Amino acid sequence: MSMIRFTAAALAAAALLLAGCSRGPEKAPAELEVVQAVGDLIGRRRTPPPPPAGLTRALLDQQPQPYIEVTIENRGATAYLTRALERRDSHPGQIEVWRTQDNVSVAFRQGMVIATRGLGGGLLSAQVPAADGVAGPAQGGARRYTVRANGNGQAVLNMACSLHDLGPKPVEIVEITHPARHLQERCDGSGGAVVNDYWVDSRPGSTRVWQSRQWAGPETGYVKIRQLRR
Amino acid sequence: MSAIKTLLHWTVRRTAPLAGSLAKPLAAPAAALLCLAAQPGLALGPEITRAGHGAAPGTEAAAPRLKPLPPPSLNFYGSPGLIDMPSAEMLPDGQYAVTYSWFGGTSRYNITFQALPWLSASFRYNGIQDLGLFGFDTYYDRGFDVRARLWRERRWLPEVTLGLQDFAGTGVYAAEYFAATKRFEAAALGWGRAPGRLKLTAGLGWGRLGSHGAIGATGGTRPSFVGGSTGGKLATDQWFRGDVAPFAGFEWQPDARWSLKAEYSTDAYETETEVSDVFERKSSLNYGVEYQYSDRLRLGAYYLYGSEIGFTAQIQLNPNQPPTPMAVPAPHPVIPRSQWATQDSHWRQDWAASQSKQRQIRDLAAAALKADGLVLEAITLEGTRAELRYRNPRYRSAGQAAGRAARALAQTLPPSVETFRLVPVRRGLGLAAIEIRRSDLEALEFDPEAADALFAAAGVQDAGPLPEDAIFSGELYPAFATSVSPYTKPAYFDPEQPFRLDAGVDFAASYAPAPGWRIAGTIRQRVLGNVKNGRASNSVLPHVRTDQVEYAQFGTTLENLYVSRLWKPGRNLYARATTGLFESMYGGVSGEMLWKPVNSRLGLGLEANYVVQRDFDQRFGFRDYRTFTGHASAYYELPKGYLMQVDAGRYLAGDYGGTFSLTREFDNGFMVGGFFTLTNVSSEDFGEGSFDKGFRFRIPVDWLLGKPSRSGFGLTIRPTQRDGGQRVTVPDRLYGSVREAHRKSLEDQRARFWE
Repeated sequence: MSMIRFTAAALAAAALLLAGCSRGPEKAPAELEVVQAVGDLIGRRRTPPPPPAGLTRALLDQQPQPYIEVTIENRGATAYLTRALERRDSHPGQIEVWRTQDNVSVAFRQGMVIATRGLGGGLLSAQVPAADGVAGPAQGGARRYTVRANGNGQAVLNMACSLHDLGPKPVEIVEITHPARHLQERCDGSGGAVVNDYWVDSRPGSTRVWQSRQWAGPETGYVKIRQLRR
Repeated sequence: MSAIKTLLHWTVRRTAPLAGSLAKPLAAPAAALLCLAAQPGLALGPEITRAGHGAAPGTEAAAPRLKPLPPPSLNFYGSPGLIDMPSAEMLPDGQYAVTYSWFGGTSRYNITFQALPWLSASFRYNGIQDLGLFGFDTYYDRGFDVRARLWRERRWLPEVTLGLQDFAGTGVYAAEYFAATKRFEAAALGWGRAPGRLKLTAGLGWGRLGSHGAIGATGGTRPSFVGGSTGGKLATDQWFRGDVAPFAGFEWQPDARWSLKAEYSTDAYETETEVSDVFERKSSLNYGVEYQYSDRLRLGAYYLYGSEIGFTAQIQLNPNQPPTPMAVPAPHPVIPRSQWATQDSHWRQDWAASQSKQRQIRDLAAAALKADGLVLEAITLEGTRAELRYRNPRYRSAGQAAGRAARALAQTLPPSVETFRLVPVRRGLGLAAIEIRRSDLEALEFDPEAADALFAAAGVQDAGPLPEDAIFSGELYPAFATSVSPYTKPAYFDPEQPFRLDAGVDFAASYAPAPGWRIAGTIRQRVLGNVKNGRASNSVLPHVRTDQVEYAQFGTTLENLYVSRLWKPGRNLYARATTGLFESMYGGVSGEMLWKPVNSRLGLGLEANYVVQRDFDQRFGFRDYRTFTGHASAYYELPKGYLMQVDAGRYLAGDYGGTFSLTREFDNGFMVGGFFTLTNVSSEDFGEGSFDKGFRFRIPVDWLLGKPSRSGFGLTIRPTQRDGGQRVTVPDRLYGSVREAHRKSLEDQRARFWE
């Protein structure tokens, strides 16, 4: 008898948990938020996202706007981003903000990563060796990363870098080979070492970084970026 | 240098002749390993983060890391240590350790919190099976420990820590000790590619830790342990008195996961083995092996006292290291006005004269805020200024909410508006005003020092009165909100059953007819639970809190039903008035006034309540106990997230006194704190525990889930729930929500503004 009552009570509890909800301009109760988050998680496990379509130049040519491909190495995650903003500020270099449909954004200054948003424990801001008219890093010297750390706080990682030109190295991106030079930035400091690689367009007057592999903070790690436009 | 070397020698050699049977097994490997360790003095602080050994540049292992080194392993008392003996190590600052240990019929549940880099505190609940003493078959007890590091490890100097174990309870585990620990790291100590580590510990113990192999005595005879007493008093008459004995041991970590431990224990277990017969103590040597199962969980198996098998499970959390890093959907970047307001006509201010245009702008701003989970309460638009009053039901960080609100305004307001005045509002109460120039917002978003630069340029002021020409949101006032959510309600430390729990569903509704006003109620339906089987009260005071079991007899209850009003009577002042059923046990009228300037770390409050005890069935009836209770409070924000609160006044049972509480709140909302209350109730009248004390903690939902939320799971745990020094719980007390939006909090959270 007590077993039946217990089962009935447990079933009632489960039904009520599923029925949990909140309406109106007030904060939802904590228990409810956790129940919903767990529900979302189970839902996601059940229906994994569809695999990305095979990338071809023909497909890219049909797109109305340019894309970049960003791969986070430590998560094995790849996404295609569109440009949300292009602007300048009082520091040298062109700023570009690229964004995914699911609200992750990466900001660049002259092709160098200066901020990530929506990734968790991201790069808040960065000081990079940018100069107008130069693709990628313009010189060696100091680099400063401000990252999320210690709960809601920030940590500043200072690094000293040297810049090396590793010579011409054309890159192939989805059926097109671009003439490029391979630049490498080797940085030391804050208890570690970082190597950033850039494949910059070698045609005169161009400031395009076709492809790069850059470090974006301790949590995100290294990211690979490719320009998919022509 | 030579003096320091002598001390090291002391720690190793002193143990050898004294420890008798320990001498051979322990000293030989220790000496050998010492020789192997070419660099003995590697003082590794837990805060040091280092790149992996020999990792190639360009790999993630070589890049800077913020993850701390693995923390020290814990002993059977939940403190850093060997097996049953302590070591001198400290956990990383803010670390939370929960351990369970079992051997020979003795089980201990321990919670340790590293309150400061050099100070830790523990709470323990233990059970000794079949002790058969003091009128209990299984003897349950609670106790507190505190440990302070006297100095840190340096090149040759060992770390030294002073510990007081079970210093305030009945004292079944009462002991005092000094422990010294020296760590060595060398390739020869490891069995993989990475170097291994060896930790040597030696110490002197009094009390329990001086009960076997004593080499002398200090301060005369030690008063003995009396089981079953009320406890709760500091046992200062015992500390460092009586026999003193040296203990020692080592922990060898050949790789990052495994460790082997051995120790010489000076705990004679007199109560367990001589007075009673819980287990047999045949040897003083204990051995163990531990395995780090995951970043947070460590498991250990041991052979103790020549006769017993034991095991531990150790869980360590650090509030600064969330299980999932917080990911907030990326904001839309601020588009500088220079890009879209290109003509002079765009910059005109004539829109400000038109009511309909103002409404249109309000609706645009409300939609932009809504996309980020914020609620527009009211907006005041002038030609070059705008004041936004908004609710923040989503983000714990007031800084992040302000950042999102500022972006929403930058996205929707006409170009002529240059000054944004952001006023976070809670229950109609303006908490602070953050003034930001729109040009700064545009100029600094991609600055290398974006967060610091913007906070330096922003002003934080008193919210001030609501402007007369403010346009309210069309969707609020009146507004109705409902929720259905599960709840749990625990009860602790009944000797029959240490943990009981009720669980069920809350049906809550609230109605806000006008700004600041709120009518709210909750109906609670229990689904399962066993709190109702608990102990009946034996208190000689009015039963203001100990009739919990009587209240738990009813499954369908009205948890609360009240009307409240919050308002700002003047500059730096906040006020609240509430009437109705506040909580399951009390209803009445309550008034509160708080003085808290935005830029001050000090707050002063006054609260007065006239309350009537509710009927056990928790509907509309009352019992005939009614009283006045009220307090004057002082709140002070100390560095490192510490909050100090002192309350003085009259408590529920009519007793007069004061409460002191110290809480550490991490800026991600994680909270740990302790409190005690002393009133004019004598310790005999108070009963078990002598006075009211306890600790509380809160784990934020956003910390657990890695996505924004303002909720948290909080618990207040008292070793014993009695009737002295108790306060009524009134919804919407002012200080917590007011402080959140003030300068110190915003400054601590400035990194989140741009996120």
